[in-house]
Amino acid sequence: MKLWHSLFFGLLLLAFAGVRVAAAAETIPPFPQKYFNDYANVAPGAVADLNGQLEKFERDTSCEIRVVVYPKMQSDSSIEDYTVHVANAWHVGRKDRNNGTVLFVFIADRKAFIQVGYGLEGALPDATCKQIIDGAIEPAFKTGNYEAGLRAGVAAILTAARPEFKGDGKAGMEQSIRGLIPWIIAVVAAFVGMGILLFSIHNFGGTFYQHHVRSLSFAENCYMFLLNVILNILFSGGGSSSSSSGGSSSSGGGGSFGGGGAGGSW
Amino acid sequence: MTKWITLGVVVLLVFVLGVTSCASYNGLVSKSQAVDAQWGQVQTVYQRRLDLIPNLVATVAGSANFEKSTLEAVTNARASVGKVSMPASAPDDPAKLAEFQQAQAAVSSSLSRLLVVAENYPALKSTDGFRQLQAQLEGSENRISVEREKFNDAVRAYNTSVHSFPSMFFASWFGFHDKPYFSADAAAQSAPAVKFDFGK
Repeated sequence: MKLWHSLFFGLLLLAFAGVRVAAAAETIPPFPQKYFNDYANVAPGAVADLNGQLEKFERDTSCEIRVVVYPKMQSDSSIEDYTVHVANAWHVGRKDRNNGTVLFVFIADRKAFIQVGYGLEGALPDATCKQIIDGAIEPAFKTGNYEAGLRAGVAAILTAARPEFKGDGKAGMEQSIRGLIPWIIAVVAAFVGMGILLFSIHNFGGTFYQHHVRSLSFAENCYMFLLNVILNILFSGGGSSSSSSGGSSSSGGGGSFGGGGAGGSW
Repeated sequence: MTKWITLGVVVLLVFVLGVTSCASYNGLVSKSQAVDAQWGQVQTVYQRRLDLIPNLVATVAGSANFEKSTLEAVTNARASVGKVSMPASAPDDPAKLAEFQQAQAAVSSSLSRLLVVAENYPALKSTDGFRQLQAQLEGSENRISVEREKFNDAVRAYNTSVHSFPSMFFASWFGFHDKPYFSADAAAQSAPAVKFDFGK
């Protein structure tokens, strides 16, 4: 009896887990850990400075702006298609404001694209992004001076985006932990509730329950199953914004992108 | 005793059936609403592109000797979209969606032809106004492709739900049927043919 119960619940757990598996057709690169990420190592002198500027910008305005410089684009599709998929997969920007922006640079392909979230499309319309790419970034890139181009590009993006939102002094994962509190309360309440239920069945059920409830181990299995279901829902439904305390985050604040922005090549 | 157990089992079955049908119905309703909401987004981005056209036509017409037939094609395509009336909620009829898609594809091809022809007018190309419009048009094309993709995702989730167990038993009874997808534009596969009629 006990083995059958365990197998049954085990299968149900697998069913829940299997639903969450997603297949990816393109290579979405891992979420960048810093605000300014130079994976192609073309602007080593600017990393600390620009990273600091972008982090301060998020604290000041709550807008999550990231720069990623890759050696090559890992996709056969067009840059606008690929970068919007990546930006959406990363969930850059706050969920309620969609105020994310990502500047993508692909060195070998000689292409750049600024992806703008829904919330910043007013501050960074397509024409402005095109001007930033053509006027601030491309001239320097053409001469091989990537650092100057990136500095100018970041400065232009920050100037355009600054007036749009007001921040609350927080950056990155500090936001996501606050969002988890209702879930944590729900889980604790579920635990306590199940505990009380099991306790009362065991002690106050009387002969009716002793005959009809198969064994306490069945109830314990229910308890474990509920625990796993809740944890599944918590960590896949509640948040790609969930993260271990003090560790690296796996994605941005939950924002989404609609394809706004512009790009160019040099 | 057995009579009571049988009655209890029947009541339990009816209860389970009620709960399941409730959950299925609610799931189908929320997915159908998600499709309608995404359809609204699709309409918005298509309208945004249409709204750019008068400005574009005015800018280009001001440029000396611009090929009139190209401009007329864009204006006509825009007018023909207005003739296809679409409901506010996502279309149920694949033929209606195909009609809408065709009208919009005509706008796409006439616009891309216009931009190709504009390559031959360097004085026009270098003006700030035209460059801005070009950026805006490219942006609107990107937006259209993103929202269409999201629409197809929402329709896929809804259609899957309609065919999944146990919703599939309740779907047609409640009036939930498959919704059509956006298909890839046939026109997008072939580059626009450009004829230069300098005599016009």
